[in-house]
Amino acid sequence: MAATRAPSAAPERSRSRTWAWTAGSGVALLVLVTIHMVAHHFVVQEVGGLRSYQQVLEYIANPVIFVIEIAFLVVVTIHSMLGLRSVLFDFGLSERAKRRTDRALVALGVATVAYGFVLIGVLASRA
Amino acid sequence: MSVRRGADPGLDEIRKGREEAGPVPRKGVGPVAWFDIRRRGLGHFAFSLNRITGLGLVFYLYLHLAVLSTLLRGEDAWDSFLGVATSKFFLLLDVLLIFGLLAHGLNGLRLALVGSGRAVDQQKALYRSIQVIGTILLLGAALRLMGSE
Repeated sequence: MAATRAPSAAPERSRSRTWAWTAGSGVALLVLVTIHMVAHHFVVQEVGGLRSYQQVLEYIANPVIFVIEIAFLVVVTIHSMLGLRSVLFDFGLSERAKRRTDRALVALGVATVAYGFVLIGVLASRA
Repeated sequence: MSVRRGADPGLDEIRKGREEAGPVPRKGVGPVAWFDIRRRGLGHFAFSLNRITGLGLVFYLYLHLAVLSTLLRGEDAWDSFLGVATSKFFLLLDVLLIFGLLAHGLNGLRLALVGSGRAVDQQKALYRSIQVIGTILLLGAALRLMGSE
């Protein structure tokens, strides 16, 4: 019989930490997505709650809205990457594949936030 | 961890995980198991719905960023997009999006409460509650969106 090793607590801690981040970012998202949907879409009287070009620029240039939208972008990206990680890990990846997946998702998340930040910044500067 | 082919991968881990606090692992892991509703309970259905709506919302996140990039091309490009986005078909897609947001958000809140040990015994009542709340909010949003046409 092969010798057994005492299981390390590290993977369990990592699993709990990931779950805590997913749940925490999810609860924060409930607040932020409600603000986003109401402030950006449901108070507008246009068809489908869609603002005109000038209305979008004025909306995004408001400093409070700008901060809320950036927070929304960061939190939604964190939550999405953690969710994708859970789905990909469902395929029963090897430890090596899991590490590669983690690195790829961090890169995708950083790129997403960077692009969104530039997009919001450029639009706010045009108002 | 090596991948075992044939049998359910990581079944021992799932059994062990069920005895601990935190995320609730499911039997038959993997996307194929999400659609396998044989001998499954409410929890499995809610778990699968969360995974499917979650993937849909990630897809929408990138679609939304692509659509918003139209604003960088100026007012004419945005007006062209509005012409398409305010059609009945696209408004119906918006209702589908709100269904995804509500299903994923409210069920996620239930999972957070159950997983953190705050409402373990009330999870079925919570599930029924979020169904009622979700349906009311979806109807309100659908009327708001479709009524604005």
